[in-house]
Amino acid sequence: MNRQFLLAAILLLSAPVFGHHSTAMFDANKTITVTGTVKEFQYSNPHSWLIVEVRSDDGSVVTWGFEAEGPTTLMRSGIRKSTLPAGTRLTITGHPMTDGRPAAAWVKAVLEDGSELNPRNGFVPR
Amino acid sequence: MTSKKTRLPLSLLRPLAWAAAIAIHSASAQVPDAAASREDMVALGKRFDSAEALYQYLQQQAGGSTTLTWQTLPDWRGVYSMDFGQTGLAYDTSQAPGQLPPAKLIPEQQAILEERVRLAQQGIEFDPLGRCEPPGAARGVSEPFLREYAITPEQTWLMNEVAAETRRIYTDGRQHLAPDDRFPTFDGDSIGFWHEGRLVIHTNQLRAGMYQRSQPNYSDDIELVEIMQKADERTLISHVWAFDPQYLLEPWYTRKTYVKLTDPEKQLRIHYWYCFDNQNNDVQEQEDGSTQFKDFDFD
Repeated sequence: MNRQFLLAAILLLSAPVFGHHSTAMFDANKTITVTGTVKEFQYSNPHSWLIVEVRSDDGSVVTWGFEAEGPTTLMRSGIRKSTLPAGTRLTITGHPMTDGRPAAAWVKAVLEDGSELNPRNGFVPR
Repeated sequence: MTSKKTRLPLSLLRPLAWAAAIAIHSASAQVPDAAASREDMVALGKRFDSAEALYQYLQQQAGGSTTLTWQTLPDWRGVYSMDFGQTGLAYDTSQAPGQLPPAKLIPEQQAILEERVRLAQQGIEFDPLGRCEPPGAARGVSEPFLREYAITPEQTWLMNEVAAETRRIYTDGRQHLAPDDRFPTFDGDSIGFWHEGRLVIHTNQLRAGMYQRSQPNYSDDIELVEIMQKADERTLISHVWAFDPQYLLEPWYTRKTYVKLTDPEKQLRIHYWYCFDNQNNDVQEQEDGSTQFKDFDFD
């Protein structure tokens, strides 16, 4: 087995989001970071989606979706439905879609008070 | 009124204590416990040609099952989740990072596995769970979400958050369906028995699937033997042997650890898992075998 194969296999083990579908549509080697306002928090199984409106310099608005795990994993991460009401300002980082659509696998969100929200923290048994 | 106690001399007590200790040790060694080593369990599986033969051996070793009553049920209450440590979703917790799964597969299935991993590196991968299929009994041991257990004297239910799946383990002495009446199902048919806090399970009637993403396939002929036991208040250990005469050259053993989660405010609930509740979770398999979201609705 060559070195490139080994590296790729290791990356597979660090998939962007655990859930019911393959995560191959996200680029685990890239991250994007945007600042915007929460439009809606779709708290659902098997995946939740945080919908964020991002205003560009020219004034146009792009609506992004950030995928995370379902409610029980989010709950274990300290992210409740009520944590992110519409209108919340945040800066969010994710692994973007490979096809360029404005969606990403949610890695980390930082609120204006500096608190961080990372859905994957829910997988640490405690 | 006073009572007169009879005291045994120390010279007699010591041998009795040793005999008792040896008896306890021998009894607990009859069916492997949670502390049994991976090496010993791999070797144990290889001694048998079939899951049924291993299960029958464990039954003999146990000398009969323990009849549970409502007063003697093991305490598996709480919500658990798999501790997947450094191995991610790998079925076999001995799989080294960056290596292929260590299953001893027939050459055709080994080639399929290597191609599956190669394509996944290129972003070409589809998981049947994307169609909202349940993981089933074999794959289910490697799912990272929540689990609950319901034990009664006659049945134990193993409940998995993924796809709201429930496995029923019949411990009332019944046998499997007759061979001519069997048909493949996601969770198969599980019978089992209790022995000193250990639940020993034999599962057949499983339908073909794959052990996990970037993992091998298994055939309709797969059968499982499992031994589940609480190792301490928060840790549930499961020894699992997969026997698959079509695809495996020898039994494939894995050891799973599930941790009871602390939930002092009782906030955790297992909700029904339906993939199409949210349009943004609807994925489709593409012609090249990759996965893509159908249509986003962010409006």
